[in-house]
Amino acid sequence: MQSSEEKVVAVIMVGGPTKGTRFRPLSFNTLKPLFPLAGQPMVHHPISACKRIPNLAQIFLVGFYEERELALYVSSVSNELKVPIRYLKEDKPHGSAGGLYYFRDVIMEDAPSHIFLLNCDVCCTFPLPDMLVEHRRNGGMGTVLVIKVSAESANQFGELVADPTTNELLHYIEKPETFVSDLINCGVYVFTPDIFTAIQGVSTHREDRASLRRVSSFEALQSATRTHPTDFVRLDQDILSPLAGKKQLYTYETTDFWEQIKTPGMSLKCSSLYLAQFRYTSPHLLASGDGTKSATIVGDVYIHPSAKVHPTAKIGPNVSISANVRIGAGVRLSDCIILDDVEIKENAVVMHAIVGWKSFIGKWSRVQAEGDYNAKLGIAIIGESVTVEDEVVVINSIVLPNKTLNDSVQEEIIL
Amino acid sequence: MKALILVGGFGTRLRPLTLSVPKPLVDFANKPMILHQFHHAKILLDQNLKQGYSIPIEALKAVGVSEVVLAINYQPEVMLNFLKEFEAKLGITITCSQETEPLGTAGPLALARDKLIDDSGEPFFVLNSDVISEYPFKEMIEFHKAHGGEASIMVTKVDEPRNRIELRPTSIEKEVFPKIAAEKKLYAMVLPGFWMDIGQPRDYITGLRLYLDSLRKKSSSKLASGAHIVGNVLVDESAKIGEGCLIGPDVAIGPGCVVEAGVRLSRCTVMRGVRIKKHACISSSIIGWHSTVGQWARVENMTILGEDVHVCDEIYSNGGVVLPHKEIKSSILKPEIVM
Repeated sequence: MQSSEEKVVAVIMVGGPTKGTRFRPLSFNTLKPLFPLAGQPMVHHPISACKRIPNLAQIFLVGFYEERELALYVSSVSNELKVPIRYLKEDKPHGSAGGLYYFRDVIMEDAPSHIFLLNCDVCCTFPLPDMLVEHRRNGGMGTVLVIKVSAESANQFGELVADPTTNELLHYIEKPETFVSDLINCGVYVFTPDIFTAIQGVSTHREDRASLRRVSSFEALQSATRTHPTDFVRLDQDILSPLAGKKQLYTYETTDFWEQIKTPGMSLKCSSLYLAQFRYTSPHLLASGDGTKSATIVGDVYIHPSAKVHPTAKIGPNVSISANVRIGAGVRLSDCIILDDVEIKENAVVMHAIVGWKSFIGKWSRVQAEGDYNAKLGIAIIGESVTVEDEVVVINSIVLPNKTLNDSVQEEIIL
Repeated sequence: MKALILVGGFGTRLRPLTLSVPKPLVDFANKPMILHQFHHAKILLDQNLKQGYSIPIEALKAVGVSEVVLAINYQPEVMLNFLKEFEAKLGITITCSQETEPLGTAGPLALARDKLIDDSGEPFFVLNSDVISEYPFKEMIEFHKAHGGEASIMVTKVDEPRNRIELRPTSIEKEVFPKIAAEKKLYAMVLPGFWMDIGQPRDYITGLRLYLDSLRKKSSSKLASGAHIVGNVLVDESAKIGEGCLIGPDVAIGPGCVVEAGVRLSRCTVMRGVRIKKHACISSSIIGWHSTVGQWARVENMTILGEDVHVCDEIYSNGGVVLPHKEIKSSILKPEIVM
């Protein structure tokens, strides 16, 4: 029976400016967690989902970015959604579980009965309230959100085997070489405070092994393997794997969409998934129009209130237009994200693309790609402050910031 | 007298190097480009005022320029920090004029006008920091005063008359000069020697050859010598070179570099902190700061490695252009950008 005193907190891992290069060229000018999907910063989606958790006391964002880079966003979203949100900056890498442990005192401030842990770059419906109900019913230390994927793609993720009746997590392996299961780890978890004891157990165990190792002469014959410091604890390898099958961990399966947002191409796909979700959860956010007083809208489209779109333009499906954008007469946009302050002149066409902040797309120019979210050049990406001159065609290409294109390009990366 | 050095712009043609630092701070022959224009008094002015390369500041001082204005629009704080160090050493005032938007070549001139014009009525110099050349400033001043016109332009014969200058809004070359020429107030003086725009990688490598050649002509002690050296080679004193290497021609090896045994380097620049592992072979390439090139790797044909790029052992790169913080685990068989 849930006590009305029982509080819940959520921890969202936002990452940091590591040398991770997969989000280039968009990552040159923006923090990944703030990149907009369906008109809202990436991290906004898990934050909004957390708001639906009953008795939510606080949300913590944990990452490596400098405090000042996120300060403005954190205070504004906290105000907007009326929920306390704090950013906690890690001083050094502690691993996915170590980070949680490092901030345990702050996280346990309100003596929460449950702690949600989410990864910011996961795109899904975040069924957190249902997950919590199931978790209480299971009575374990943790519940992992899982989803079935195709057998071929499963080995890119953490694969799990679960008991079909009890939903207990029986077996867990990260990126296995041979097929184990088509059920994978979504990167969304709920734990009881026992998780901190479990993490501490890993650190202590590692310390003991480390001191043993110093004594062993066999070590001298071993090739140097990468040893982690004792407080570097990974959730997957160090917690989920060893505790599987011990009646401590359970699974909760989602049948809705789930994607990881690792590349710019995927951000376009995930933006479309969230736009489609708005149609059910917040249809007032989507644009509408039939070409008479406002532009023709096809499918799911988000247009920021400050953007100006000419009534003769045709927009959609799957288009997201950010603040202060100017869309000229006769423009055609589909499957694209148009970022802040972009100007698109008359009769231009943009399809399967991301157009970066402050860029300029000239008259009758064309920016397009095939729309393969996973291919290197499958989505056309125009970086920040790029000028595409009139009548220029940009196909299946990536253009880095501050360039001017006077000539058409195809299948190229323009530095 | 004052001089305006056009430093602005994003240096996109020198990417991926300029993804790590602004263009004036990209090293050329083991020194940031801008320093070549701020070089210290070690290089002597010869009696005929035929100045050596890379000493415009010294040259400017010699003809009475006391203040240099840099027109910049990108990462000014990085430049300003760098400049603080050198202002004192050089005895010349350096100020920055910052464009908030790129204004082409004439824009910065207009913007810097307040700083350049004073009551003395003295003419002022405008330099493009991309260019390395011999700088006959004194001759140019005399020429300019003699003809009494508004502007003097330095011209040179080029072997390949390709259009090196991008036509941009309010370009001095495109808009301002034709006007002055129409008024018959533009005079051209032929520049002896060479002119080389080192704003892009291919020209950078050629420029290095020319620069090292000029050092050789002056019998500079800076050039390396030894059984393992061929042609003109510059090696920073803090760099280490292993046994059995063959280095040169036209190579610059920067501070803190480690070149392990059996390495072959030709026509390339190795920037600060790079490690080249054993038996590797590098030609016609630029290896960016703190990168590593693995054992038996072969890197050639305009391969440009950005900062902190790690080429694994035995890898072949044919013209790979690699952005910073990458690891190259498989060969690049034809020219390609690795992002």
